Amino acid sequence: MKSVVTTVIAAADAAGRFPSTSDLESVQGSIQRAAARMEAAEKLAANIDNVSKEAYDACIKKYGYLNNSGEANETQVKKDKCLRDIKHYMRLINYCLVVGGTGPLDEWGIAGGREVYRALDLPTAPYVEALRFARTRGCAPRDMSAQALVEYNALLDYTINSLS
Amino acid sequence: MTNKRFFNIFNLTEAEAIELLDTPLDKLAEDESRYVAASHLINFPTTAAIDALIRAIDNNNPELDNRIVRRKSVETLGKLQAKQGLPAIRTCLSESDCYTVENAVWAIGEIGTEDPEILSEIAQILDREGQNHRVIIHTLVKLNYLPALDRIRTFTESSDEATASAAIAAVCRFTGDYTPMARVMEFLFHPSRNARRACIQDLIDTNYYPAISTIARCPVSIVFRLRAIRLLANNGIERGEIEFADIQSSLEQTLLDRPQDLELIHEYDLPPTLEFLIRQLYETDFGLCYLATQTILDNFAELAPAALLATYEAEAYNDYGAHYHIMKLFGWLKYAPGYDLLVEALNNREPQFQKSRAAAALALGELGDKRAIPLLVASLDTKIWDLKYAILMALAKLGDTSGREITANDDDWIIRARAAGEH
Repeated sequence: MKSVVTTVIAAADAAGRFPSTSDLESVQGSIQRAAARMEAAEKLAANIDNVSKEAYDACIKKYGYLNNSGEANETQVKKDKCLRDIKHYMRLINYCLVVGGTGPLDEWGIAGGREVYRALDLPTAPYVEALRFARTRGCAPRDMSAQALVEYNALLDYTINSLS
Repeated sequence: MTNKRFFNIFNLTEAEAIELLDTPLDKLAEDESRYVAASHLINFPTTAAIDALIRAIDNNNPELDNRIVRRKSVETLGKLQAKQGLPAIRTCLSESDCYTVENAVWAIGEIGTEDPEILSEIAQILDREGQNHRVIIHTLVKLNYLPALDRIRTFTESSDEATASAAIAAVCRFTGDYTPMARVMEFLFHPSRNARRACIQDLIDTNYYPAISTIARCPVSIVFRLRAIRLLANNGIERGEIEFADIQSSLEQTLLDRPQDLELIHEYDLPPTLEFLIRQLYETDFGLCYLATQTILDNFAELAPAALLATYEAEAYNDYGAHYHIMKLFGWLKYAPGYDLLVEALNNREPQFQKSRAAAALALGELGDKRAIPLLVASLDTKIWDLKYAILMALAKLGDTSGREITANDDDWIIRARAAGEH
């Protein structure tokens, strides 16, 4: 699993050297942000069902035409079905908060994902829109501290960027 | 083979989508999305739509919300194969945003070009780090740019399996020596799900027919195996290089999708509980789902139906992955009370549940309840080829021959071949 720490050590080892000062600074930076990340991870995990559902519901409400008869989200019950994908991305975002790097998203969510979406003509827009909503929905200090929200939003942006 | 089942989810008119795409970021209402507009214009291969997409590319605002719109506009122009878009798309090749570059390269591959300057420019992106080298290699091969061969060859040992797979396949196509394709086939059983999926695409692109029976055993979702076998069959039969009989058993084995027919690459450290196995059916790596299915059948055949029903009612009814595996399991467990759920799944027209329909048809065949015959016959009225084929298999299992007669003159050659064949 790729993280700031493993990346630094892998680069140093590949060159047969000790970690440089800038390597150590980047590890230090990651450690300093760890408390905020753990807070975000904990809050996200505790609310994963609500966060995912709210994001998807908002997307549906915002784009009423997603409910067209015979299409992907025909009824109230049926539209819940795409939650699977939103929850999957949220789970990977949670792992990234814990790891302190984008490895889980890169390896399990993004690698090859763009190719699959193109090859199978799958729509990315509903997911992008749901994640964009989640980004604007998060509020400090109501949901988590400002620092934790920064960490969470950065990963939402990262996911939106790589999915789109 | 473009799949249009999701194309119309946005229900915007062409004019509305263009107006939305042209709206400046700071003038957008909260409930408006230019990204949706750029996606939706795939439905309108008109000069007005194409011009709007080009204008979107020309908007260089670096904010994330604009960057994703530009990328989508590039992709949509590629899907529309809009030659007018080529100059605008070309300007994206030199950008720093790797996803924009990836979409630009891909789109040029879709549109097509023989311009040596553009092709050389694409080949040079292979020297840049942080780019999606796999897509670049695919595009260079697709556009038959032989001068890129040496550059591509350096990626055959890439530590990224998907890139290595694409490079090996590309070298084979350029040189005509297909011996190294054995290495691509090894990726079919790699621990990385991405490697397994990626190499399937490379086997399709090289028309590597000897891989068909091995692809059928690859532990990835049926969607990828079925697509590969169908595309290889289409190409091979059209060129007279293979016959239906060469692919029929692999195709039907894939449609049945029994875990014992797959080469599973995962294993359990400890004997798993039924509760754990049920959770595994929700995994996004289908390799794990197949192992769980096999273990449920081997160790929990008596207890499983109640647990499957419970998870279906709690969650799986709205999870298209677990839903699929449960439909299959009801059939193999011969779970007669599951009949109504299977009929419901057979008739479920939502696109994300499409693969559950064929699964339900085959499971109804497994149950052996002849009440299903007229329902299956009625469901033959579909454009989904794999559903139709699965229904014919299920009807044969139930001893019915009327389906063969109905489909004897089907528009699709593969359905006609099944209807005409011995079973």
